[in-house]
Amino acid sequence: MKIMGKKINDFIVNVATANGTGSQSSNLIILHSLFEMGVPVSGKNLFPSNISGLPTWFIIRASEEGYQAPGDKTDIQIIMNKDTWISDLEKLEEGSIVVYNEDVKMPVDREDCILLGMPMTKMARKINAKLGKMIANMYYVGALAHLLGIEDWALNKALESQFKGKEKAIQLNLQAINEGKEYAEQNWDFECQYSSEQREKNPDTFLVEGNEAIALGAIYGGISMLSWYPITPSSSVAESIIKWLPDLRMNEDGLTCAVIQAEDELAAAGMVLGSGWAGGRGMTCTSGPGISLMSEFIGLFYFSEVPGVIWDVNRVGPSTGLPTRTQQGDLSMLYEASHGDTQHIVLIPGTVDECFEFGWKAFDIAERFQTIVFGFSDLDLGMNRWVTDGFKYPDLPMDRGKIIRTQEELDAIPNYGRYRDVDGDGIAYRTLPGSGIDPILYRGTGHDEDGIYSEDPEVYHSTMERLRRKIDGSRPFLPSPVIREESEKDIGVIFYGSMENTIVEIDDILEKTGLSVSTCRVRALPLHSEIEDFVRQHKKTIVLEINRDGQLFGIIRKEFPVDLITKIYSVSFSDGMPPRAKVYAEKILKIINGD
Amino acid sequence: MVIKMVRLNVLEMEKSEYTGGKSSLCPGCGHDQISNNIIQAAWENGIHPEKIAKMSGIGCSSKTPAYFLGKSHGFNTVHGRMPSVTTGANMVNKDLCFLAVSGDGDTASIGVGQFIHAIRRNLDMVYIVENNGVYGLTKGQYSATVERGSKKKKGAINHQAPIDLCAMAINLGCSFVARSFSGSKKQLTALIKAAMSHRGMAFIDVISPCVTFANNDESYKSYNYVKANDEVLHILDYIPHFSPLEEVDVPEGEFREVSLFDGSTLRLETLAADHDYTNVVSALSAIHEAEQSDRHVTGLLYYDSEVPTATDTLELCETPLVELSDEILRPSSESLTKVNSSFR
Repeated sequence: MKIMGKKINDFIVNVATANGTGSQSSNLIILHSLFEMGVPVSGKNLFPSNISGLPTWFIIRASEEGYQAPGDKTDIQIIMNKDTWISDLEKLEEGSIVVYNEDVKMPVDREDCILLGMPMTKMARKINAKLGKMIANMYYVGALAHLLGIEDWALNKALESQFKGKEKAIQLNLQAINEGKEYAEQNWDFECQYSSEQREKNPDTFLVEGNEAIALGAIYGGISMLSWYPITPSSSVAESIIKWLPDLRMNEDGLTCAVIQAEDELAAAGMVLGSGWAGGRGMTCTSGPGISLMSEFIGLFYFSEVPGVIWDVNRVGPSTGLPTRTQQGDLSMLYEASHGDTQHIVLIPGTVDECFEFGWKAFDIAERFQTIVFGFSDLDLGMNRWVTDGFKYPDLPMDRGKIIRTQEELDAIPNYGRYRDVDGDGIAYRTLPGSGIDPILYRGTGHDEDGIYSEDPEVYHSTMERLRRKIDGSRPFLPSPVIREESEKDIGVIFYGSMENTIVEIDDILEKTGLSVSTCRVRALPLHSEIEDFVRQHKKTIVLEINRDGQLFGIIRKEFPVDLITKIYSVSFSDGMPPRAKVYAEKILKIINGD
Repeated sequence: MVIKMVRLNVLEMEKSEYTGGKSSLCPGCGHDQISNNIIQAAWENGIHPEKIAKMSGIGCSSKTPAYFLGKSHGFNTVHGRMPSVTTGANMVNKDLCFLAVSGDGDTASIGVGQFIHAIRRNLDMVYIVENNGVYGLTKGQYSATVERGSKKKKGAINHQAPIDLCAMAINLGCSFVARSFSGSKKQLTALIKAAMSHRGMAFIDVISPCVTFANNDESYKSYNYVKANDEVLHILDYIPHFSPLEEVDVPEGEFREVSLFDGSTLRLETLAADHDYTNVVSALSAIHEAEQSDRHVTGLLYYDSEVPTATDTLELCETPLVELSDEILRPSSESLTKVNSSFR
């Protein structure tokens, strides 16, 4: 067997366990301790739709280049789960390191690999008979600490943050980690080619899930009503808001935000509508199946012009789909949700910092344009932990839009009507229930400029044209694309959302072939004018996305001038996994090479 | 000089300030009588129209908010979803008086889930169902409140058990449950006034027979009669003109037979003076006993003023959330610094 030179901070660990065995704590301790050492590291939790028993994998990747995609192969495989034991072993390349729990009593028939066994369950039972199964997972943390040289202080810090001052839990788990480490030192006569090495770490950085970032953003955006119905992978947005409200939004005499767990997603959307109509900042969070149910209300938001915010943390569709896997499958649905002609504003963060920023901005945009605003995230960005150097405080005051609060303000507008476009931007002025100012009966039926029921053809047509103009007018106000441009304008890649975490690696693979590749990350719909310019400047443009049909490509093809369409190509692929760079890079190369 | 006498309420407002637009319902529709009773009740209660929010779903009854309280904001939402919109509005402005009108299709079928959960939360609102047993706007299909054995002109006999919305509401812990009749002006006005004063969910099921598409074969008698006797009419879109039902006020503990437009009768019974409306069992017994003798019992069936409302249980601040300043809604930058440090 050929032993390569030491690979420092460049390895992929895959941990195979069963759901509900407490392995998530062990995995996060590995991830956080490496992070504390300043190792550029990322973690992906691949979990089943199940409470207990089904297989789950956690991929930890250290990469000096900062690559955060899952990578194409496994360097160190931890196997704990009997059910996937055989297939986990079969997938490995020659020379991989296998750390396995001897007590599972399964064959380890890979003589071409480095096989490192440890009686993890037996040792764990000795410390605590009752919690043996759970604590067994801490032994592989010890094993990895030994193999990779993870430092004790880093492990301690990760343990403390994981168990938040629960001294007994910290001691118990630390003992297991140390025993695992000692066992490995004494029994494994093997020098690992991978190692971790401390780097200078920016003390401001920390790891956080996208969903928690959205939650905090919403709180700093002045959310006043959260309605939600539990659905993976969005529930932790709501749960994080609930967690932070007592700290951040408690007045002298009570909370300044109402939270309601709704009976279903329809009701959740209706509550957002009601709160927006009454002058509040309402929000709900859901995933694709929830959006399907909310579609009726989405049309009412659009047509009656009521502000509201809905976050869609995408999972794999159609139907119930793969509830715990990731996809960018809801983009075209969000853009034109509900029957009839509609178009909606969609904000698309690609980082946890943007999750926070768009979390508060969504309310301002919704109130300015008096319409529903979607946030578009996915399971990968929402439920995995990503680096930030701290959330930035909103740099703009709240934008409450065109609300008339006094009779004098109303009188100053000549020929006022709830739906009359007096400023020429398609946005009319609204008044609030309780104010007594220009009371009208809001409705989802046809209405004239004064809000009175109407089926008049001219009235309907001009209302719909104004609505189009209004949403069109939002383009320059929405987050502009992030463009990384090369001087040679060979290939342009347009992408969005969580693909941000894989794009650097894709870009490197493409540039290694001699291509010059610029990238453009779309951050909102409707599309900003700079995106069209980007396409114009490049010989060929690829629209890269994590779905089957090329949903953004479809939107671009519909909206861009015909002469540009012929040089735009779609690369879209989805198998439920977070995007692996090689898969997408190869597909892009195929198109460029004209295969 | 002519001196005009006008009656004013405690706010020194005329009743005309509580009226709305012209009704587009069928002439003689009981729903219009209910609208008048709402106007009367709101005016007598001395609630300023601007403090009332009119809520509705979709259907004949849900159109009526356009016909009363023209000085109140309102929302004619989507089918069966009025309760959720009301919930959202109530959360951010708990000082508004939410007055909602729905129908038996809107509440007992498509919206039954939202109805149930609004009751469970004890949402602070008045919820009136204008119950006629049919879908009027789509021309006469059965609703879920129609009695077993009813026969439609064009359809089969209804074999499904009806949903008694009052019994359901009581079982769900609704804090104010009443039943009335669109022609019982005195009783209905009194109930709406009481409902508007109640803190919590006040549900009133109002029997309001459909002048056009009543739900059993007999009920078409008069309609058929008109059709048979007027050859020049285009039958399909002919809506006979009826006068509204005469006022019926049934003394406590008694019942009266009320003749409907089509010649059929409705037996209305008023709860006895000694009805114990604080007791769930007596309330349910009154409903079921009346049902056994083909009667509809009316009056305040159940009442409990001690149930906390949806906003009470959320421990919200005293000020309605819509009145909070932006400075209060957005935490300080120092707090964000602390949040960031807590992750490090």
